[in-house]
Amino acid sequence: MDNIIELKGVGKSFNARDYIVRDINLTVKKGEFVTLLGPSGCGKTTTLRMIAGFETPTEGSILFKGKDISKVPPYLRPVNTVFQRYALFPHLNVYNNIAFGLNLKKLSRPEIEEKVGRVLDIVDMEGFEKRKIHTLSGGQQQRIAIARAIVNEPEILLLDEPLGALDMKMRKEMQIELKHMHENIGITFIYVTHDQEEALTMSDKVVVMADGTIQQIGTPEEIYNEPNNAFVADFIGESNLFNGVMKGNMKVEFLGTEFECLDDIEKGTRVDVVVRPEDIVMVPYDDGMVKGEVISVIFKGIHYEITLQSGKNEIVVQRTRAAKVGDKAGIILDPDSIHCMKRGKNVNSFKGVLTKKGTVMFADGEFECDLTMLYPDSSVDDNGNLMDSSGNYIDYAGTEVIVEIPFNGIRMSDDENEGGVRGNIFSLIYKGDHYNYIIKTKNGYEYILNDEYLWNENDYVSIVIPKKLIKLMRMDSEVQ
Amino acid sequence: MKKYFSRRYLCIPYCIFLIFFVVLPVIVIFYYAVTNGEGEFTLNNLSAFFSSGYAIGTLLYSIAIAFTVTVVCLLLAYPVAYILAKGGIRKNNVLLLLFITPMWINFTLRITALKEVLTAIEGNIAYYPFINTIIGMTYDFLPFMILPLYTTITKIDNTFSEAAQDLGADSVKVFFRITLPLSVPGIISGVMMVFLPAMTNYVILDMLYNSTFIMGSLIGSYFSAYDWHNGSMISIILLFIILAANFVTDRFADGNAGKGRAIL
Repeated sequence: MDNIIELKGVGKSFNARDYIVRDINLTVKKGEFVTLLGPSGCGKTTTLRMIAGFETPTEGSILFKGKDISKVPPYLRPVNTVFQRYALFPHLNVYNNIAFGLNLKKLSRPEIEEKVGRVLDIVDMEGFEKRKIHTLSGGQQQRIAIARAIVNEPEILLLDEPLGALDMKMRKEMQIELKHMHENIGITFIYVTHDQEEALTMSDKVVVMADGTIQQIGTPEEIYNEPNNAFVADFIGESNLFNGVMKGNMKVEFLGTEFECLDDIEKGTRVDVVVRPEDIVMVPYDDGMVKGEVISVIFKGIHYEITLQSGKNEIVVQRTRAAKVGDKAGIILDPDSIHCMKRGKNVNSFKGVLTKKGTVMFADGEFECDLTMLYPDSSVDDNGNLMDSSGNYIDYAGTEVIVEIPFNGIRMSDDENEGGVRGNIFSLIYKGDHYNYIIKTKNGYEYILNDEYLWNENDYVSIVIPKKLIKLMRMDSEVQ
Repeated sequence: MKKYFSRRYLCIPYCIFLIFFVVLPVIVIFYYAVTNGEGEFTLNNLSAFFSSGYAIGTLLYSIAIAFTVTVVCLLLAYPVAYILAKGGIRKNNVLLLLFITPMWINFTLRITALKEVLTAIEGNIAYYPFINTIIGMTYDFLPFMILPLYTTITKIDNTFSEAAQDLGADSVKVFFRITLPLSVPGIISGVMMVFLPAMTNYVILDMLYNSTFIMGSLIGSYFSAYDWHNGSMISIILLFIILAANFVTDRFADGNAGKGRAIL
C-alpha cells in the first residue's frame, strides 16, 4: 500500500521557542483509519489542522502522495474535515449544506442531486433535504456534517473529535457506524480524540501524543499491551505502574519480588513496570507471590476494583468476585502480564552557568552548588572563595556547565521562596508507592521528581534541591 | 393586610414618564390629525395629503434620500466593520472607538463643523442641496451602521469560514457565500437604524441651509404656519409607513438569518 500522507519532522512554534507540536513523524497508508489520541492540549488538533491546511507548520513538511503540500491553501487540498461542532451553515438547509462543495466545483444539477441523495443514504438521513439545520438533533447534525464532507469524495477525511458533543449511547452507536462507513467507502480516515476507548475501538493505527510530541504509534493492541513509556501506559486503560530493576535474563524485580517477564532488557537497567489490573490474579494469602491487605473495594458494574496494600505499594486488581476490606490476600502474575519499559530519563539534565556568587543558574532557577566537584583538588576557604591546590583563587563566573539532578531526594515546597526555582505541576503519574511529577517553569523547562505524597496538578510550587545532589560537569569535558 | 414590595413597582416612574411624554402627545397628535380648526371630526387632512402632488412628491423624495443615505452608509460601513471584526488589526477596540467618538461630540457643533468643511470645498453650499444632505446624514448616521454590523460579524464563528474553505471555497467565495449571508441580521438592524431616522430628519437639513425638502421639513413647515391639523396627519401617516417597514424587515429577518443567529 502507498503512503497517502506523510508528516516529516513537522513542528509548529511561536517565535521558534514555544512549541505547540514538534518533531511529528507519521505516515498514513491509503485506506487506513488512524487516530491521534492524547489529553487536551497535546497538539493533536493542531496536527490535524496542519493536515487540513488551516495552520502552516513552521518546521518540516507534509507530503501528500509524495508531494509537499505544506503551503497549499485548504481549499485546494484533497481533504475534507468534520469539525468538532460540525460547523454546518445555519443559513442553508440540509441539501444546500451538503451540496456546498459540489456547487463550488460547478457540477451539473442532476449530478449534485444524485450525489447528495447517495450520501444521505450512507448516513441514513434520507428525506431530510429541506430541513433547516437548527431543527436537527446533535446526532443528526453530526451525520449531515459527515455527509457534507464525504460527498466531495476526498482522499482523506479528517475528523476532529466528531463525537465529543454526543451523549454516551449515541457516541457508541456512531462509533460503530463510522467504522462501517470507513469500511464501505474506503476513504482514509484521520481521527482526533481524547477518548482512549474510542481510539482503541475504531482505529487501525493509534498515535498517542502528549505535550506536543508523539509518544507511541501502533495498533490498538500494541498500544495497550506494550506501551512505550509510563505516560502511554497510564493514559491508555487502567494500569499499575511500578519502579523495577532488571535482574538478568527476562527477570525483573519490583514489589520486593523477582518475577519472570518476557522483556529482554539488559541486567541492572531501571525500568517502569506496567501491570494491567485485569491481568492480576488474586489468590489466598499463602499462595501469593506478593502478599497484601485489601484496603478498598469499589463496584464498577462489570467488575469490582479491589485495591491491595502491599508494603508501601498499592496494587489495583479487577475481578468479578467481591472482596472485603481488611482481607489478607496474595496475588500472582503471569510473565505475559508484566510489561517492562526502559525509563526515558533517569536524571534531570540542564545547561547552566556559574554566577559570581558561586551559585549555578539553569532552567529558570538559581541554586547553591558544590563548586569543588568542577575543579580537581580545589577547596573553599573561610571567605567562601574557591582556591586551587596551590592557593590561587579560581575565576569561575560565567563558566558554562552541564547540571544533573536525580529524581529522588529533591522536593517541592508550597513556599515559593524556599526552593531555587518555581513552576506548576504539569503532570503526575502514580507509581505504586510514589508519584512521578513533572514541574514546568515559566519558560517551559521541565523538572522531573518523585514524591511520596499527592500534590495537585497545576499547583504552583518551588523546588528544593539539596546542594550535594546537584552534579556539575564541565561543558567542554562533555564535548570530548 | 401586609404589603409586599413587588419588583413591578420599579416600573412606575418610567410608566409615568411614558404616559405624559409619549402616550399623551401621540393622542394629541392623533386628535389634531382627525379634526379641523373647529374641533370637528374630519378625514379631510388625510385626503388632503394624498391629493396633494407636492406632499406625495416630498414623501417619494424623502424615501429616495433615505435610501441613498442607507446605501452609502452600508457601502462605507461594511468594509470597516468587516476589517475591524476579522482583519488581524490589534487594538481594534481603539479603532472602533475612533469611529464611535464623533457620536459623543455635540451634534450641532459637528454639523457646524461639517458646514465649514463643505463651504471650503464647494464654495456656496446652497448650490448642492442633494449631495450636502447625503453627506450630512451619512456623517451623522454612519456609526449606527458600523456598530450592528461589527457586532454581528464578530459573532460569526470562524469555523464556518474554515468549513467553507475546507469544502473548496477561496476567500472571495467564503465572503459571498458565508460571511455576507450570515451578517444579514446586522445589515437589517443597521438599515433600520439609518433608514428610518433619515426619512424624518430635519435638523441636519435646516442647519445645512439648503432647500432640499423632505418629510421632516414638510411637517415643520405646516407647524410653523400654525397648521397643526395637516402637520399631525402627515406625522401619523409617516408613523404608519415606518411601522409597516418595521414589520416587513422583522419578517424578513425571521425568515432568513434571524434564526441562524440563534444557533450562533
